[in-house]
Amino acid sequence: MKNGFPVLVLEEVQDPEALRRARAQRARFDRNAAWLRRHASEVYVRHRGKCICVAGEDLFVGDTPAEARALARSEHPEDDGMFVQYIPCENVPRVYAV
Amino acid sequence: MRFDGEWYPCDDGVVRPVVRGEVLAFDGEWVPAFFLVDTGADRTVLSGAVFALIGLSPISTQTLGGVGGLAEAVVIDTQIRLTRETGGKVLFHGQFSALPALEALDISVLGRDVTGLFAAIVDHAGDLVCLLGPPHRYDIRHE
Repeated sequence: MKNGFPVLVLEEVQDPEALRRARAQRARFDRNAAWLRRHASEVYVRHRGKCICVAGEDLFVGDTPAEARALARSEHPEDDGMFVQYIPCENVPRVYAV
Repeated sequence: MRFDGEWYPCDDGVVRPVVRGEVLAFDGEWVPAFFLVDTGADRTVLSGAVFALIGLSPISTQTLGGVGGLAEAVVIDTQIRLTRETGGKVLFHGQFSALPALEALDISVLGRDVTGLFAAIVDHAGDLVCLLGPPHRYDIRHE
């Protein structure tokens, strides 16, 4: 602990191959995030209480994070930039500080 | 060192300051995740969805306090990877909290254990979200 916070160790990735893979994954993540940004209003309204996974710039919906990801992987097994989000049932103002 | 974020539209139509990153899973895979830049949060906390996907066993439990009262969180040892302005990657290795229940936290939160290492800029009017560390700095001007 330092100043009440857990100590974190920072390390910059130096390995060229690890960097290449990480950048490629991030590029795929960015494309999927951009897809969700474009389709946000329809996706969020239709799938409250569900887990969504965006992969291959496509949407997959499940009751659990694992289910949503499994559906996405079956269609886009190569996409390591897929991400999963839970869409809350209730649309209310939020205070996140924890 | 600079980590750029964005104002991202959330499910309730509200745009919030987020940074994109990845979390290291039990099998060495990196799981993409959005992190809310929460300057009021004492801890970085992973959402239930991210926690479910990384598959790591908790090393302890922790009580977190918030608006809803107290919540039981788990503590895991992992790494968060963020992207520098150069395209370089920085790993934050340590212990982070997670709220396993999906409904408890719909987006992972980057708390002051991480943001406190940097100058955190969350400027909606200026459409800017970033974490700044040396050699980057900011100045405030009156023009």
